[in-house]
Amino acid sequence: MSGRLKLAAGLSIFFLVTPGIASAQQQVIGAPSEALNMKLVGTSDLQARSAYQPTIHHQGDRWIAYIGHHGGSDEIPAPLNPQTGKAEPNGTSIVDVTDPSQPKYLRHLPGQEGKYESGGAQMVRICDGKSLPKGDRNAVYMLRTFGGEAHEIWNVADPAKPVLVTRIAGLKDTHKNWWECDTGIAFLVSGAPDWRTRRMTQVYDLSDPAHPQKIRDFGLPGQEPGSTGAVPTELHGPISTGPSGNRVYFGYGTNKGGILQIVDRDKLLSGPKEPTPDNLRLPEIARLPMSAFNGAHTTFPMPGMPIAEFARDKDGKTRDIVMIVDEAILNECNEPRQMVWFADVTVEKAPMMISSYTVPEASGTFCERGGRFGAHSSNESMAQVYYKKMAFIAFFNAGVRALDIRDPYHPKEVGYFIPSITAATDKRCVKIDGKDRCKVAIQTNNVETDERGYIYIVDRANTGLHILELTGPARAVAGLP
Amino acid sequence: MRRWPIVAFVTLALGILSGAAAYQQADPRQDQRHAEWHEIAWPFPRDGWPAGRAFRCRGASCGDGIEIYVRPKLGFCNCDRGVADDEEVDRVADLDLLSERFTPIQAGDVISVADMPGRSRAYDLKVTDGARHAAIGIAVSRRCDLLVAVAHGKGDAMRVRRMALQLLGENEMTRWMKAAIEGQ
Repeated sequence: MSGRLKLAAGLSIFFLVTPGIASAQQQVIGAPSEALNMKLVGTSDLQARSAYQPTIHHQGDRWIAYIGHHGGSDEIPAPLNPQTGKAEPNGTSIVDVTDPSQPKYLRHLPGQEGKYESGGAQMVRICDGKSLPKGDRNAVYMLRTFGGEAHEIWNVADPAKPVLVTRIAGLKDTHKNWWECDTGIAFLVSGAPDWRTRRMTQVYDLSDPAHPQKIRDFGLPGQEPGSTGAVPTELHGPISTGPSGNRVYFGYGTNKGGILQIVDRDKLLSGPKEPTPDNLRLPEIARLPMSAFNGAHTTFPMPGMPIAEFARDKDGKTRDIVMIVDEAILNECNEPRQMVWFADVTVEKAPMMISSYTVPEASGTFCERGGRFGAHSSNESMAQVYYKKMAFIAFFNAGVRALDIRDPYHPKEVGYFIPSITAATDKRCVKIDGKDRCKVAIQTNNVETDERGYIYIVDRANTGLHILELTGPARAVAGLP
Repeated sequence: MRRWPIVAFVTLALGILSGAAAYQQADPRQDQRHAEWHEIAWPFPRDGWPAGRAFRCRGASCGDGIEIYVRPKLGFCNCDRGVADDEEVDRVADLDLLSERFTPIQAGDVISVADMPGRSRAYDLKVTDGARHAAIGIAVSRRCDLLVAVAHGKGDAMRVRRMALQLLGENEMTRWMKAAIEGQ
């Protein structure tokens, strides 16, 4: 074979094989899951409903997973509930995960009619009645959103037969609430009708869930009723450290112009309530403005972390850290990368970003797989098993990523799990020359952990719930046997 | 021979012809007479969204000059409700690129730009040198994406609005906006 012929043959083979390499990353039904130091324990299809927040609750001698859902899709606005034989708008799935290898679907509690973010019941938090100051000791309370129009509290003492307790309605939006189970104080992400932003905070005393007491409305100055001028980025969600930590960390922005706001909880609860600019500024300790390229979906506080590298330093041995997770919202990398940031907030007046983490795109050619690629959320459990040691990040088509965060100045990935797609996995499309071009890929949306160490991930593209456990070196990071 | 019918006919015909010629020469809209839009460089530093297109209007119908800035904001809209209220225009229409201080003059209007529904609203804008401008915020949507524009000038708000919508209604702009909202 002549040199030219060899070159031509080589180039032909290259061009034939190269697309194959790229498309080899495209998920197909029947292909195995992709994993490192994480293992699948059990699954539930969640009736092929698009999933948002999972919350796992130890309830008597059982472990129950409560999973919030987005609204339905254009194709299937109200999926079939096989238990009732009826089409039901997406709401809350209640699953017994006592045996994580055999999850038992107990009940689907329908949510608000409406598609995507306009319907469903995305958010869910659980408190035992016995932990709330004025709760019914025999009750277990589920706080959930009802689409964008209301917050609801249900008694789920019998998780298969929830009973509505109360409803806070008349809103234009809702989202990622936080509920302190020891005080009953709830930070409800709401759209109060007269505020200039879609999402702000309504602080409620839900210590007696049957009789909610509103404490105040809260947001950034410029969002309040009657204000003029530029409107600051809308709220995504808060996380409180309760009376002992006396801080609430608010995350504003989703994928743009994020702000971490550090707030004095006591001043927020007891300060003047009228939503004037001065009153809204009063409880604020500091803000950490992020790049216009990134938002703050989750702001997860980890105060008092001992940093091994600083152990012999006379000062600053421990640091107060907030992990900030952005949310990717556009398919196939049509936006700046949304990722994970670690802020050192020890000196509260001057919080500082110290590190970041993202999945290397080339490790799975994720921009070509379809759907969203980027961070969305982290686990929010503060149970000892993982707190301040490991964080789990939902990364859409890159599945869930397990990070060793013991040194938050240098977070390190130690495992991952990308579930297989199924026949239920919904497509995700982008416009090419005016026409939809769609692909099917896993869209791991949210993640939570339980005190036993199981990791629960749920899928936005209808693939359901996957229950995982760590294996190999990743277990050692958490100190698991 | 009686000539007056011929004279009358010729006079009438000339009158009709000259009237028609005058009608064709005359602009039906005074604003369109000398409105000359020129594209200028995007004048703002980089923010969360890529730059769009900017235009400046000179001419009698633009008063002391009107500028307009137009760009898509992909993935920034409620996918079902679209631009539902005036507060949404306050939030998204890029007025804050010009000044943090703006006050709505009145309730907004429902509009359609490039076949996309949305709203526009008029504002009193306080610019950096303390001067006041009239500004118009425009936000229209398709599915989960927004197309926003903000126009401002020293003239009255209704003139700024009329001129802005006139530019956005031109065929070339319509084509560009439709392509831009598809990410092209």
